[in-house]
Amino acid sequence: MRQKKKDRLANTVKGTSQEYPIEVKDVCKYFRLYKDKSHTLKDKILSHKRNRYEVNKVLDHVSFHVERGHALGLIGHNGCGKSTTLKLLNQILYPDSGEIRMKGRISSLIELGAGFHPDMTGRENIYINASIFGLHKDEIDQRIDGIINFAELEQFIDNPVRTYSSGMYMRLAFAIAINVDADILLVDEILAVGDVNFQKKCFGKLREIKDHGATIVIVSHDMHQVAEICDEAIWLDGGRIKEQGKAYEVCEDYLLEMRKIEELRKKKEAETSGVQEEVPSVKYPPEKLGNQISRYVRRDGTMKARFAKVRLMNGDGKECRSFQQGEKLTVCYDLTLDKPMAYYKDGLNVAISIYRFDGLLCCRMATDYFLKKKLTYDELTHGCMVVKSLMLCEGDYIIDIALADDSGVTFDYLAHLIDFHITASWKNGTGVAALENEWHFGSKAM
Amino acid sequence: MKHIREIFDYRDMIRSLVKRELRGKYEKSVLGFLWSFLNPMFQILIYNIVFTHVFNNDMPVYYMFLMTGILPWTFFADSLGQGTGAVLYNAEMVKKIYFPREVLVIAEVNAKLVNLLLSFVVMVVFLLFSGVGFSIHILYIPVLVLIEYLLALGFAFLAASITVYLRDMEYIVNVVLMAWIWATPIMYDLDTIHDPILYRILMINPMTTVISSYHAVLYYHKAPGNWDMTYPTLVGVVILTLGYFTFKKLNKRFVEEL
Repeated sequence: MRQKKKDRLANTVKGTSQEYPIEVKDVCKYFRLYKDKSHTLKDKILSHKRNRYEVNKVLDHVSFHVERGHALGLIGHNGCGKSTTLKLLNQILYPDSGEIRMKGRISSLIELGAGFHPDMTGRENIYINASIFGLHKDEIDQRIDGIINFAELEQFIDNPVRTYSSGMYMRLAFAIAINVDADILLVDEILAVGDVNFQKKCFGKLREIKDHGATIVIVSHDMHQVAEICDEAIWLDGGRIKEQGKAYEVCEDYLLEMRKIEELRKKKEAETSGVQEEVPSVKYPPEKLGNQISRYVRRDGTMKARFAKVRLMNGDGKECRSFQQGEKLTVCYDLTLDKPMAYYKDGLNVAISIYRFDGLLCCRMATDYFLKKKLTYDELTHGCMVVKSLMLCEGDYIIDIALADDSGVTFDYLAHLIDFHITASWKNGTGVAALENEWHFGSKAM
Repeated sequence: MKHIREIFDYRDMIRSLVKRELRGKYEKSVLGFLWSFLNPMFQILIYNIVFTHVFNNDMPVYYMFLMTGILPWTFFADSLGQGTGAVLYNAEMVKKIYFPREVLVIAEVNAKLVNLLLSFVVMVVFLLFSGVGFSIHILYIPVLVLIEYLLALGFAFLAASITVYLRDMEYIVNVVLMAWIWATPIMYDLDTIHDPILYRILMINPMTTVISSYHAVLYYHKAPGNWDMTYPTLVGVVILTLGYFTFKKLNKRFVEEL
């Protein structure tokens, strides 16, 4: 109910003014690379020549905007300009040309704990640090208990910060930055903060902030993080936007490119060193497994035994990547090997997993779950798995398939092998599982 | 105008920084905060000995003449001296988060202002016990402090922003301050200057009229001259405007230069 109201609110805001909390228009940024960086007067006067600098283009006509309540992920290699973009948004740096418009209070989790004074207590530092974010004293008074509580520092808050462990220090800094109640939150490589539990808490808090309508921009190397929390993503390469779109798609494309580069590197290494290291996906290109293979597919494993063919079919036995909810789905595969595997007489297992587009595992199905025992290679050579009734909600899904043995050796693992789509009426609900439901009303319904 | 409003919005940050500066600085020394008084007091003691016993100065209650000049001068000199490094020494903060950078300089000058006001309390005690006493002209003090504040802030803005690009500025400022204290009638009375050219040069220095006004009000118990108040006010406004806009212009590349 509350969510709907908020959505409506967001829509009206969007509809009437078309103004975004973050708008970046045609921004360029150059850095001066001094050949001999020097700040002293003597050098400025005496060595006029040496003081020349090269101009390095860090951002090259970059434009984008972020809608209210959306999270944007910035990804790319080191030096692609993503951190610079974040600093421009934070007004730490200024663009050389173009325009950046930001609406509302900005908080940044760029580098935490700026302005902490080691000799002052945690409590005093909260006041100093929060005031740097532009909070007034009365606003800090309101939030301070929440901040201390979030940082889990109740017992230590009146000790000087220099006595804190680095974990405590970061927790305090993070707690302040995230409790500013900003309209725009800028995050650089989060979640290097504290232990696993605290990271979970931070993630939860980020989500909560986002649900309350805050706009978030995240710079990260962790594609899972980006795909999980962001709606959109921008892939920067050499200061230009290489790709822009739905977060999971951009992340997948980025990972794909990374893998290609990695494979190329390995190939080159193998060529130069003469040692032939096999790259599974190069020697056995997964694209040849069938007509439905996703371009995001990754292959891994020893390849001693491997898949030769994989097909996804509907109830009529036709290759198909688009299903109705409740329809029959069949995955068929063929295995192959180079030489007979005598000693793997038993203990092989084929597993098929269905993931939602964002990486959520919906179901893992395997021969050993089904049969409660392992099969031999010969028994497994040709197989089909039938899902009788595909009760998943509308959306995009992914199939993974793997061949492994008892001891955990993976022979062939094909991740993101086939994409498929499910269409459905909404009557079975939204989410992941489409649970068939009936409603009864009135006194007899009880 | 919008920017000035924003600086005003960060007043709580200024307050926090002032508090950090005042508390943090002396945290580990035994005498702590007292040092900010002891420093000028020893300065007064030394000058008093040198001027009365070496140079045979015969001004009555000379140490009060010194005190009423040195305390306001300390405010100005410290504001400029330490304001120069306000951005440079807070580089870590400047590189990490956004806030109007002017805040750093303002906080530095405000911290020195607090020191001045506290040292006035000590001065009042001295005025009472030395027999110099008070007059109604003491009411000029807030105006004089305000004028001096304009000057201090203006020069500090200039120095702080230039230092980021030209690190020598810090040392240049130190040398300038060393000369400036003698180019201002703090240890001597302006009336003892008979050379008309030297007198003119001294009168260009806005601090000359500020300090002699302090002397007039606190030591001589008379009202400061009209020009003595108008001139530093005009210079103060010009310097502050110049300083503010210079700072604002240079501030765009601070992070890249730090």
